[in-house]
Amino acid sequence: MLIITDVFYIDKKAVVTVLTSNFIRHALWLSIWTSFTATFIALFFAVPMGYTLSRFRFPGRTLVDSVIDLPIIFPPLVAGLTLLVFFSQSVIGRWIQENAGIEFVFQPKGIVLCQFVVAASFAIRSAKTAFGDVDRRYENVALTLGCTPWGSFWRVSLPLALHGIIAGGILTWARAFGVFGPLMIFVGSFRGRTEVLSTTVFLEQSIGNLEVALAVALVMILVALIALTMIHLVGGSTEVKL
Amino acid sequence: MIRIERLSFGVGDFQLRQLSLEVAQGQYFVLLGPPGSGKTIFMECLCGLRKVESGRIYIDKGEVTDLEPRARGIGYVPQDHALFPHLSVERNIAFGYRVRGYRGEDVIARVAEIVDLLGMRHLLSRRINGLSGGERQQAALARALVLRPKVLLLDEPVCALDEASRQEICSELQRLQHQLGLTTIHVSHNIEEAFSVADKAGILGEGKLQQIGSIDELLRKPRNEFVARFMRCENIFSGEAVSAGPLPKSTTVQCAQTQLVVAGRHHGQIKFMLRPEDVLVLAGDRHSDAVENKLRVNLIRARDCGNYVKMELKGAIDLVAHLSHAAFTELKARGGSNLVAVIRRENIHIFPA
Repeated sequence: MLIITDVFYIDKKAVVTVLTSNFIRHALWLSIWTSFTATFIALFFAVPMGYTLSRFRFPGRTLVDSVIDLPIIFPPLVAGLTLLVFFSQSVIGRWIQENAGIEFVFQPKGIVLCQFVVAASFAIRSAKTAFGDVDRRYENVALTLGCTPWGSFWRVSLPLALHGIIAGGILTWARAFGVFGPLMIFVGSFRGRTEVLSTTVFLEQSIGNLEVALAVALVMILVALIALTMIHLVGGSTEVKL
Repeated sequence: MIRIERLSFGVGDFQLRQLSLEVAQGQYFVLLGPPGSGKTIFMECLCGLRKVESGRIYIDKGEVTDLEPRARGIGYVPQDHALFPHLSVERNIAFGYRVRGYRGEDVIARVAEIVDLLGMRHLLSRRINGLSGGERQQAALARALVLRPKVLLLDEPVCALDEASRQEICSELQRLQHQLGLTTIHVSHNIEEAFSVADKAGILGEGKLQQIGSIDELLRKPRNEFVARFMRCENIFSGEAVSAGPLPKSTTVQCAQTQLVVAGRHHGQIKFMLRPEDVLVLAGDRHSDAVENKLRVNLIRARDCGNYVKMELKGAIDLVAHLSHAAFTELKARGGSNLVAVIRRENIHIFPA
């Protein structure tokens, strides 16, 4: 209903502007590749972390668990502010920027980092739940049948947890794709450089181009719909558990 | 053959203490115990899934205590079977071979051999989620047997099945075990399973092996009250040996308000039991040739338990008797009937001190 209202509000001129603008095309491409990169990096960390948290007891486990969940509950703006302070004020942050040669502040790489910080919790949480749902007896039987612990993880636990991990990936991507507040603080919104679709919506409506802002928003919805459908088709039936 | 020497393991407040057991080559051993008695933990220790605190485990002539689970030569069927739901039945069965790097004809031939033995070729292409309880049991068994284990460990293998399937699978297990000459340990809380398959059985309770022996020994000569109660004996009494009995090698025991004659010489406080099926119940006016242990009792309640009728009798001591349907019908007893319970002294088992 809400989307239909948006569709009727925009006019032909706005659609033409969106389809022909190089800046918006760049923002679309930047949104897609940064959000997928952030999601893959998040999953890369989520699988071992989720498995460790679901299978092993160690001192400080509850604290680690809570820290992982923090980005889910604190305002995304805080993430952007914290990243900005870390990379501009702290010794380690400045060393990374200046000596290691990896620049994040006001750079496209910063978009990926921002999206990762805000969205990785969803991937880790989902992976932990997915591995927690895999009965240990499957792993135990695999061990008696000839598997090493790594083999039992690779051949049994991971395939059985895969749907849950994919579900976490979907959530992570959706969160990363739509992130806005922290990007405005940490990487800004430079046209043709760090502007992503969410910041385009903000920029267009701030200069009074409400129709263009809505048209961009519809593009975001369309891209999200296509991506989610594809992921669902690839991942089979997925159940999101948090 | 598997030999366990003084195995101890603790988790939280629970302890398995100094468990020793030997199951001979080709023997079918049933380990019985109430839920929570540590049967599954014991099996996991044998598999190497839990590291024992002390003790030794030998399979055939080699020690396996410190070996990885995959190197022990054990076939393990856990409770609920734990078939891998993401693989077909065939891939479940071949799993052990595939992880060891075997491929192609070798695997196909060995899988074919085991599925033919179990008569389950029609299940090979099926997914796990579509299988019935009995079919899952067959698949889990095939997966464990395909690697030709030296010892087969079955953890509550038929507990999730209905009565008819349970009996069928138990017969199948016994057939396979005899055919393959497999040393088998089967754990269960259900004594009927032991009746069906066991060459020998043991009772695990309170963290230790309470008794090991034939089923008949566990039933009629339990080592203690725990074993007797687990084997469903409700007639357990305490008494004091007061004098030599009226017959050679017998003792008179004061028990509540009556005196019983028991076989053998005993002194001081004793504890004894009597199996319900060994209580002879007669109509109050019937004559019995028995010279000892005739008790006047009233029938409190009679309950049909399928294969027998359970009678609760109140007298100088309260007794439970199991009668066949024919014997109960002939007795023509109803609630409050005056009856005579006859207890033969040789049927009274005194627990060792």
